[in-house]
Amino acid sequence: METFLIVAGVIFLIIVFMYNTLISKKNQVENIFAGLDAILKKRYDLLPNLIASVQEYMVHEQITLEKMTELRSKAVTSTLDNRETIALDKQITSMLGNLMVSVENYPTLKANENFLHLQGTLGELEEQISAARRAYNQSVTDYNNAIEMFPTNFMAKVMKLGRKEVFSVPASERQNVDVKNLFQK
Amino acid sequence: MKPTLAFFLDYYNESMYPTLKILEEKRLKALGTLKKTVIVLFCSITLLSFILIHNAYLSPLHTSLILGIAGLIIFAVIYHYVKVGYTSLFKDHVIGKIIHFIDPSLIYTKTGSIDEHEYQHSELFLEPYDRFFGQDLVSGSIDSVNVRFCDLHVEKKVHDKDDKEVWQDIFQGLFFRADFNKTFHSKVVVLPDIAEHSFGILGSWMQGMNRQRGELIKLDHVEFEKLFVVYGSDQIESRYILSHALMEKIVQFRTKIDKPLYLSFVDSSMFLALHYTKPLFEPILLRSLLDFDSIKDYFERLSMIIGIVNEFKLNEKLWSKH
Repeated sequence: METFLIVAGVIFLIIVFMYNTLISKKNQVENIFAGLDAILKKRYDLLPNLIASVQEYMVHEQITLEKMTELRSKAVTSTLDNRETIALDKQITSMLGNLMVSVENYPTLKANENFLHLQGTLGELEEQISAARRAYNQSVTDYNNAIEMFPTNFMAKVMKLGRKEVFSVPASERQNVDVKNLFQK
Repeated sequence: MKPTLAFFLDYYNESMYPTLKILEEKRLKALGTLKKTVIVLFCSITLLSFILIHNAYLSPLHTSLILGIAGLIIFAVIYHYVKVGYTSLFKDHVIGKIIHFIDPSLIYTKTGSIDEHEYQHSELFLEPYDRFFGQDLVSGSIDSVNVRFCDLHVEKKVHDKDDKEVWQDIFQGLFFRADFNKTFHSKVVVLPDIAEHSFGILGSWMQGMNRQRGELIKLDHVEFEKLFVVYGSDQIESRYILSHALMEKIVQFRTKIDKPLYLSFVDSSMFLALHYTKPLFEPILLRSLLDFDSIKDYFERLSMIIGIVNEFKLNEKLWSKH
């Protein structure tokens, strides 16, 4: 009887430990995602200023600017889940990249002090977003490992925990920047 | 003018050599004093031993032990006295001049040190200490980056197996502080990875349990992860500070220096501690000052330290630090 109680006690403790580990990893993902969301929000706040300061110069980029305004509105008005936020962030990042390359064609804009300030702030935000993405990916990897590895995978099934998606770099961003081409534009 | 070795050779020949010739005479004089001390002590001890043993005041073993220890103490006192005088002149005429050559705006204080508050503020070494000694403080601005560094020795008193009090090093080496190029509010500490390196997964688990340091930050740079363990108070900000580019530079620096390296990022400052087993800027009495190679070592060491600002690109400030 005593042995049975000890074994039952040990099994109970292992279950509690596994449960707590999974919950802590799940919460860690959510916590870091909230941090990432806060930095993305800063970027959304900055976008209207950026668009306002460039649109009088960038006469040929109206479609890009309109698309960016639309994406930004979508990001701030609707409630997105993690997967949608990741997808939307990818689109905005890609659009911003195109916009910054196009700036090369507008020397007056490049010298504009207001724009320079925005560009600097945006550059710093991008650094922070990149850090948040890396932190999010690490926490998702830890979480995914925990729900797929033995023995926590059994507990994860009982708790109905599913895999989460990591941020991946768009294919266009993986290529090296062709500086020569960039300046010939 | 970039302080390269070729320029330094010219500076050595033109500006340092005449003074060093005078200093070299003092070094030879100091060596002469020490040699004379050894001879006098040896003769005195031999004579005293003869008298004591011959008159059977003490046994030969006791006589040699007592006289040997007394001789060593007298030599150590005279050596210390001679070395202190020479070291002071050496630091003025060699270390001070090299620093002035590398960057005339830097201020060198041979008896100065970073203060205990700065040391504690870095959170690099959390152990309580009993002795704190620093010297050779250099402070100023390099490429608009404020820096302060010195040679530091921090020790604690412990009891050995026989319950005797002994001094144990907590840290000895270079302690460096500089403005960091990003504004941040959390703390990050980068320490040499001993546990994971020695015990593998178990070591990694032990590191995760070290809550005194904050959260364990696992980073996505394989080489960096092998060399260091990182603790921080904010998962996102820690990665904002330790960007891929900075991790790469830290790995390169650590590989080049090949000495235990500690880093921390606190209140928008970067603290760096590089472990050396000997004082960094002490003269070697047995080496001639007129031999360029001996002076070159100090120049290279100081250039390496002052070069940390460029090495880690601390002068490339982000927008918010402009």
